[in-house]
Amino acid sequence: MKTEPGTLVGNEDQPLRALLLSARPAPVLPPRFKQEVWRRIERAEVAREAPSVPWLEVLVGRLLRPRFLVAGLAALVVVSGTAGALERSIAARTAARAQYLAAVAPNTLR
Amino acid sequence: MRRSFLILAGLLLASAAIVLGSFHLGARMGGGAGRTADDLEWLRLEFHLGEPELAKVRVAHEGYLPVCRSYCERIAAATAEMVQALGPGTNVPPLVDQKLAEIGALRAQCQAAMLRHFAEVSRLMPEPEGRRYLAEMQRLTLGAHEHLEHSMASPAGASHEHHGH
Repeated sequence: MKTEPGTLVGNEDQPLRALLLSARPAPVLPPRFKQEVWRRIERAEVAREAPSVPWLEVLVGRLLRPRFLVAGLAALVVVSGTAGALERSIAARTAARAQYLAAVAPNTLR
Repeated sequence: MRRSFLILAGLLLASAAIVLGSFHLGARMGGGAGRTADDLEWLRLEFHLGEPELAKVRVAHEGYLPVCRSYCERIAAATAEMVQALGPGTNVPPLVDQKLAEIGALRAQCQAAMLRHFAEVSRLMPEPEGRRYLAEMQRLTLGAHEHLEHSMASPAGASHEHHGH
């Protein structure tokens, strides 16, 4: 059988063509299909027109860069850890001072 | 946009958790462990004393402690006698005046001994630190009285002003 380029079957195979067309399943559309389609289109348009916050998008984009994430994490850990150690050291020194004062200058004299 | 907000909120929450965790970890790993067995630990830390200087200061400190304790006991005994002399009545017997004078004199002697001890300790420290120690101890032990007396003498302490009747 010789077919023309770009065609599945030749014009001479009309019975086969009819058979193929009849074999194509006809989908059963759900109720209110058209309304649902239009509703989705409207919703998509509304979402497209919603105001975006460009600086927020830029900020989040930058924050999510791996290099920035690693640097930020490291900075947070170092600064917070140092602050914690410093706070502990100050508290320990204050307690040591109170202990010395209690030994050499009881409250009755102060 | 909503997604960006959610990401930003998540990042902020994660950052707060990291800050808190690191702070507590740093505090746990940091030096100092509250109350120590050594009363002189503060001097070592604050005035950067080495072992030889600290040993000299320790000798002076241990020599001063019985003197301080003795004054404290005498002041406590005189105070108890004064309270007993006050009794349940509403007037102040002359014995109370005598006991108050005694307590005042004992406190003055005790304070003088304390200041002499501070001066002695300051001389055992290297020069700039010794001077700083003496100033700090005077501020800590005499400052409280000064503050109280200033507040009582200020115009705000109106209860001390005597108005003509």
